[in-house]
Amino acid sequence: MSGLLFYVLLGLLLAVLAGVAKGSMRRWVVGAGLALLVVFAAFPFSRARGFLSRDTVDPTLLALVPTFPLLLLVPLSVLVALVLARWGGRAAGLGGVLGGVAAIIAAGWWYAQPAQIVRLHPVEGLIELLIALGVAASIALLSFSRPKQRVPILIGAVVAGVLAFVWFHAPQGGGVYLPKSLGYYKLLFPTPPATQQEIAEAYNRALPELNAIRKELGQDELQPIRSLADLQGALPQQASSQGYRLVQPATTQYGAFAVFFLAGLMLGAGLMQLGSPRLQEPDDFRAGILIALVASFLIPAFDATEFDLNKLVVGWPFLQQFADRAWPPLLADPAAERYPLQEVLSQIAVTVQMALVGTFLAAIFAMPLSFLAARNVTAGTPLMRSVFYATRLFLNVLRGVPTLIIALILVAAVGLGPFAGVMAIAIHSLTELGKLYSEAIENADKGPVEALESTGAAGVNVVRWAILPQVLPLFISYTIYNFEINFRSSLVLGLVGAGGIGYFINEKMASGQYDQMMVGVIAIVVVVNIIDFASSWLRSRLV
Amino acid sequence: MHKGVEKSVGVRMIEVRNLSQTFQTAKGPLQVLTDVNLDIPRGDFVAVIGRSGAGKSTFLRTLNGLLIPTAGRVVVNGTDITRLSKRELQKYRRTVGFIFQQFNLVNRLSALDNVLHGRLGYLSAWRGLLGLYTEVDYRIAREQLQRVDLAAKESARVDSLSGGQQQRVAIARAMAQQPTLMLADEPAANLDPVLSEEVMRTLKRFNEQDGVTVVINIHALDLALKYAKRIVAFKRGRVVFDGAPEQLSQDLVDDLYERKEMLV
Repeated sequence: MSGLLFYVLLGLLLAVLAGVAKGSMRRWVVGAGLALLVVFAAFPFSRARGFLSRDTVDPTLLALVPTFPLLLLVPLSVLVALVLARWGGRAAGLGGVLGGVAAIIAAGWWYAQPAQIVRLHPVEGLIELLIALGVAASIALLSFSRPKQRVPILIGAVVAGVLAFVWFHAPQGGGVYLPKSLGYYKLLFPTPPATQQEIAEAYNRALPELNAIRKELGQDELQPIRSLADLQGALPQQASSQGYRLVQPATTQYGAFAVFFLAGLMLGAGLMQLGSPRLQEPDDFRAGILIALVASFLIPAFDATEFDLNKLVVGWPFLQQFADRAWPPLLADPAAERYPLQEVLSQIAVTVQMALVGTFLAAIFAMPLSFLAARNVTAGTPLMRSVFYATRLFLNVLRGVPTLIIALILVAAVGLGPFAGVMAIAIHSLTELGKLYSEAIENADKGPVEALESTGAAGVNVVRWAILPQVLPLFISYTIYNFEINFRSSLVLGLVGAGGIGYFINEKMASGQYDQMMVGVIAIVVVVNIIDFASSWLRSRLV
Repeated sequence: MHKGVEKSVGVRMIEVRNLSQTFQTAKGPLQVLTDVNLDIPRGDFVAVIGRSGAGKSTFLRTLNGLLIPTAGRVVVNGTDITRLSKRELQKYRRTVGFIFQQFNLVNRLSALDNVLHGRLGYLSAWRGLLGLYTEVDYRIAREQLQRVDLAAKESARVDSLSGGQQQRVAIARAMAQQPTLMLADEPAANLDPVLSEEVMRTLKRFNEQDGVTVVINIHALDLALKYAKRIVAFKRGRVVFDGAPEQLSQDLVDDLYERKEMLV
């Protein structure tokens, strides 16, 4: 509970910071309110356990409403706050304060509840509906850029939406490929005391057998329980498979932190709006929607990436030890016949050479390809048009595959060593340069093209004499820049065994020879900066 | 084989019949030229005048085959240029010089290289690709540079030349095509009055010495009256005047530019 209050304080702090920045506070009331509605419907709030860990359900606030109707106070108070925010002035501030406090009280009350048994009620078709709406909406968006074909596009959107729904809802469609999505959203309904008693008795009956097993495993014996509130750990298997779950309000999910943080933010923003109601602006609602959007994406992302500063505290001793052993770097140890500096310099040279060869190969192939991928050069005939689309598709698809992954595959095919790295760089750079070159061609001045066309020159000669002289300096500039990027990516390629200094660093890190690894790190920093500097100097002289 | 491009038919250079041009724009169709009829004899120097948007540029581009008309015929040298194949159009274009307001030179190349571009239409595609111009091409290009007084600048990059010099390079490029017809779209609009006169004098000289027919779009009425043998006035896509400069009345000019008083 005190942990949750920390999040309230965090919200208040953000409100104060936003207030110091001198903006309208109403937008923060609106933003926090809208975000709270999202959290209410979509973020996991608590935890309900079954027999196995995969039976665990993380219910949202909305899912808990049938069990604990007081939680409805959260969205209701937010709605009141939003209506008052529309009103504006001190009323908006008051709404923020009331809404924030009500949300904190309602959510906090939930944490004081004892554990209880609930029954799951999956909401059929909800996820399918959301996917179908997403499909339909993304197609319907096209109609904005093509107002003439609005009606057919909208019809297409509806048809695609219905098809998506039908496919995802079918057991042989979404049921096979996305098995979690069917009935993913579950409401939690309360269970009558008689049923709870039955489950408890069933648990007690099965206990001797369970204890016999636990004894064999050397675990403590479990005591019979009087009610389910005393239950430790998992629910009996039978109850779990019947759709019962044990809700433990004390186990918090990130939705809980979000509720308290946002409620704190709303409260703080409301208080400051009370103080200076005239700072509100007409577009507060639009800004509020933006704030809510950012919050609804950012908060789950923090949870999904297991963000936890505590881990850094735990890992601190390792960092200290690392620093102790890495410094001073070991340049050479003739007694043990170790020459790290020598090795680093050789490997850096290999890395630069990998980037050189890779960039060169890419440039050679990208040059002709880029003309085929340029819209203005291929405008002539339908055949050229289709070549254009094919080239574009090829470059776009291949560009989506990172250098590292190409290297991983090539290492498996041609073995460890720089050759795999060179090829990976060449293939990926080909797509990057192809795009950059073709954009340069498309942006070339049309005047000379028109002039040469009007002298009766053939198409290839117009390209050769009107476009090529214009784009050649740009090509060279892009190639140098690409070399710079390729040097950096060839550093990483060593990590997957594709040769160069990265391989050296990986090896020294794994064997704990941090003082040798440090030589490599310092060399990389120096060479990266030299190449950056040289490349930008060269490019500035070109254009 | 040349399909009459170089076959001369009497004294008539250009014959325009019922020419209309309509563009499809975002706001719907836009009629730029309406029922234009015009005859231009060989060796004429015609100035096309009119306000911006009157259809002058569209008219000139149609003469060069850069635009295909919506309706009507354009016969140049006895050939209907509105129904040429791509290859035939290239053959036609090399006999027509075109001079642009923005010069449209290839900036990173030398003056001589740019003038040589006028010879590309006479080379086979692969010779052009490798830049293998013949001795004759070089002689013609140097000659034309000489005629615009830029022989000393032949190896200078054109972006190092002044605006007036650049336009003269562009004229030399057009003349290197050894054209029978020279089209110029506002060739002097980007230049100061002295350089404008210079460009006009150069065109006039080519017209008189080489017998090249010149059709020029021009804003500056004084230049048009001073250099042209004939004036054609466009207003809202229609020809409203066609005659000698002396015949152009003050009333018509006022009407053309839709103003009460002549300010020039």
